[in-house]
Amino acid sequence: MSTNYGWAGKILRVNLTTGSVTTEDTAKYQDYIGGMGLAYKIMYDEVPLTTKAYDEANKIIFGVGPLTASGVPCSGRMNVTTLSAWTKGYSILDGHMGGHIAHNFKYAGYDALVIEGKAAGHVYIKIDDDKVTIESAEHTWGMGTFDTNRIMIEENGSDFDVVSIGQAGENLVNYSCMLTSSCDSAGAGTAAVLGSKNVKSVVVRGTGNVKIANPAEFKELCDYMLRELIGGNNNHNVPAVPQSWAEYSAPSGNNRWAGAPGRVWGLAEGGPIDMGEQPYDDINKIAYRCMKGQFDFGDIAQKYMVKVGGCSSCPVRCYAEYEMAPLAEYELPTRVSNTCMPIIYNTTWYPEGVKDFVDEGDASIIINGAGERALDNFGVWENYGNLLREFNWCYKHGVFERVLPKEEFDAVPWDLMKEGNPKWMWWIIEQIATKKGEISHLGDGTYLLAERWNLGQEFWDDNYMQTISYNGYPRHHGSEDVYQVGVLYSIMYNRDCMIHHMINIVGSGCPYEVYKKTLEDEFGEGCVDMPKKYTPMNRSKARLAKWAFIGKQWHDSATVCNWMWPMTQSPAKSRNYKGDHDLDAKFMSAVTGDKWTRADVDLASERISNMLRVMTAISFNINEGSTNLREDHDTICNWVFDKEPEFKAFEEGTVKLDRADMELAKDMFYEEMGWDVKTGIPTRATLERVGLGYMADDLAARGLLPA
Amino acid sequence: MNGVEKMSEKMSEQIEEKISKALDTEMTRRQFMKISGKGLMGLTVSASLLSLFGCTQQQIDNGEVATWAMPQGLLVVNAAKCVGCQRCEINCTLVNDGVASTYISRVKVQRNITLNGEHGLYGNKDWVYFPDTCRQCKDPACGNACPQGAIYANDNGIRVVDQEKCIGCGACVQACPWHMPTVNPETHKSSKCIACGACVQGCPAGALSIIPWDEVTAAAQEVHK
Repeated sequence: MSTNYGWAGKILRVNLTTGSVTTEDTAKYQDYIGGMGLAYKIMYDEVPLTTKAYDEANKIIFGVGPLTASGVPCSGRMNVTTLSAWTKGYSILDGHMGGHIAHNFKYAGYDALVIEGKAAGHVYIKIDDDKVTIESAEHTWGMGTFDTNRIMIEENGSDFDVVSIGQAGENLVNYSCMLTSSCDSAGAGTAAVLGSKNVKSVVVRGTGNVKIANPAEFKELCDYMLRELIGGNNNHNVPAVPQSWAEYSAPSGNNRWAGAPGRVWGLAEGGPIDMGEQPYDDINKIAYRCMKGQFDFGDIAQKYMVKVGGCSSCPVRCYAEYEMAPLAEYELPTRVSNTCMPIIYNTTWYPEGVKDFVDEGDASIIINGAGERALDNFGVWENYGNLLREFNWCYKHGVFERVLPKEEFDAVPWDLMKEGNPKWMWWIIEQIATKKGEISHLGDGTYLLAERWNLGQEFWDDNYMQTISYNGYPRHHGSEDVYQVGVLYSIMYNRDCMIHHMINIVGSGCPYEVYKKTLEDEFGEGCVDMPKKYTPMNRSKARLAKWAFIGKQWHDSATVCNWMWPMTQSPAKSRNYKGDHDLDAKFMSAVTGDKWTRADVDLASERISNMLRVMTAISFNINEGSTNLREDHDTICNWVFDKEPEFKAFEEGTVKLDRADMELAKDMFYEEMGWDVKTGIPTRATLERVGLGYMADDLAARGLLPA
Repeated sequence: MNGVEKMSEKMSEQIEEKISKALDTEMTRRQFMKISGKGLMGLTVSASLLSLFGCTQQQIDNGEVATWAMPQGLLVVNAAKCVGCQRCEINCTLVNDGVASTYISRVKVQRNITLNGEHGLYGNKDWVYFPDTCRQCKDPACGNACPQGAIYANDNGIRVVDQEKCIGCGACVQACPWHMPTVNPETHKSSKCIACGACVQGCPAGALSIIPWDEVTAAAQEVHK
């Protein structure tokens, strides 16, 4: 293999302590693909896991991969790796961001940016192709991300892109994220690591290109994917409501292919634009499929949508872009956009409820618009909703009366919250971002907050909280969607899992019998259960869980979007709605000129997955004294088994799991992964098989290698 | 309100003839000359043409729609439909350069996304971003400025850069009022739009479309039946 095609070929290192800027060849990291895998290798080699997240010795690595910005649809993702400051074990984790910056970064000529050391003053890193400089950011320090990003572009030029931290990152708030102004964000506290190094922004322009070994074949593959395989957002492969060309639509009438005739971007410049029908093979209509606002808020979204946005290279535009006039009355920004938690979950800040603004039923959309701008302005990350649930839970359980000094409690503008005023969110999010008062410890993260405020077992085991493991993060499509399988991959990381492989399928609206056949053909009988009618653990489910788990690492290393990939399903009846799991390998072959097979992709994915596992084992050993990941890392909060008390496990209608069955699930999953069943730690045979013999030696030296 | 308004009134004679032939039943050639290569703002367009262009009179009144005359038809750009995905740029460079890039693309979106005038995601944080490309000027500033005489009209009347003659001096980039030609930093050769249509073929929003001349003619004639 060579890095002449696909890969940019260079890794950029910026040492803020010494001011040195150097590059090195990517070739020696090629086994680790890019993005996450490449970053894990660098972290493993260079940052001892005894290091703390905010130590000068920690590093933070921005990474893209051989498919990023190559033209592969949905390849606009950038991975950001560093050490956790907020989860049990304080091990390695990643934030992930889309938008346009990954393309700029790749075209500037780099596969990764390794930021080392700590700057003496506040700085930003300017990457203008091969001209890389460390510039003063004293004039933007203290600002929100939107002002900072605007100033960076005004100063550097309109063909640059930029990602910045807000006040939360500056103040080392664990719940922090970095943002572009299209509101793409890498979360999980990665912004605070940048803040600890005094880095406000990374500004980048790339005038170069990604070399494609077989451009004609590659373009054909792109068109094949767009004509036959791609669906709506989350790759939902049938439209939400009937369209004349479509055999099926979602039984619920709602999925992430929400565009339909009569549904409009109501505030489009020059008048409403109708989504029309989007026949699956019409490339020129794909952008009208998603209409995420409609999915999130129903018809009211049409009133405020201007258009849609998303990442470079992706035709499925999952960001609804709004102009929300009612917010002007509160002197809040009216232009809001996002696609996930920051724009769908903000009513949780109002435990007493919310009130409508102009139209009946518009409370949610307007509150979410205001909350999005607040969270993204201050660069506050919400741990897939846990931040908001933690606030809500503490409010309802009288925790604030107990933990806040009386003077502080009395000064909280509770009236704003009770009257449903959107300014309430701006107030509380600013407290968190600027670490003002005891209440700001909401930004510490679930694990540390539970300890500081002595929230007790009740907090961890409350079904409302959705915290999946005692490490301090929630399920991200867990048992509620795919039962044992969803829980297995939700507990594998050091943050929420961000795996959408299965929700993309079971949430697609495609008939169960159809996707069941697609999956069973590959993973075996019984791999996927009927909704609300799940069965005991079996070997097919373990194979399915492994596929999703290692596939996520592929996506964050290649890089392609896990909300769209893999191409499991298809909207084409002529294909029996079956996608193409060989497509990643086909793209790798066309881009790099080397022959890639599905097995090659899977082996690389397993390699990176085992790196995550080994580094997690080492961190848990160092920081928790653990020699057993099964017992100490792969924990499952009790609500998963105790919810819905009116049901027994396996009864039709419930998603509550069974403890013994879930232990069997772990057994089978570890076996599929080649991990020791007792400890959940990779065996030497497995590590050697995936080319990580040196990690087996390391585990052995630490007394962690399974016998 | 955006960059598609300010465009040349000049274009190659071959294309003039095609437009003239297509539209002489609906409006004078002079009238269409005014709208070709610039925003349609200020013009009332017939219902059949609106339908063909996939736009509304209101979008035209707002300055969202512009047309470019091309050999294979009329290129219609509707900025209100642009979703900023840059597949036009990617397809342009895949087809013409065998690489993926935005900077050397002959259709330009990247430079309008973050900031274009007051607009863009990083300016007023509004949702104004759009594709922009060569106006195919009749009296081309790029060609006139080229010290090598490397920019010439091909058989279809499209101005192309002779890669043999080009010395990559960038005079064409500077001379073009919209800086549409781009010197490839790797090859040190300039390139500009050759009206290949790859951008249109891959636009997932139909923000870019090419209406064949016979359809334009038919729609124009329909008005007068």
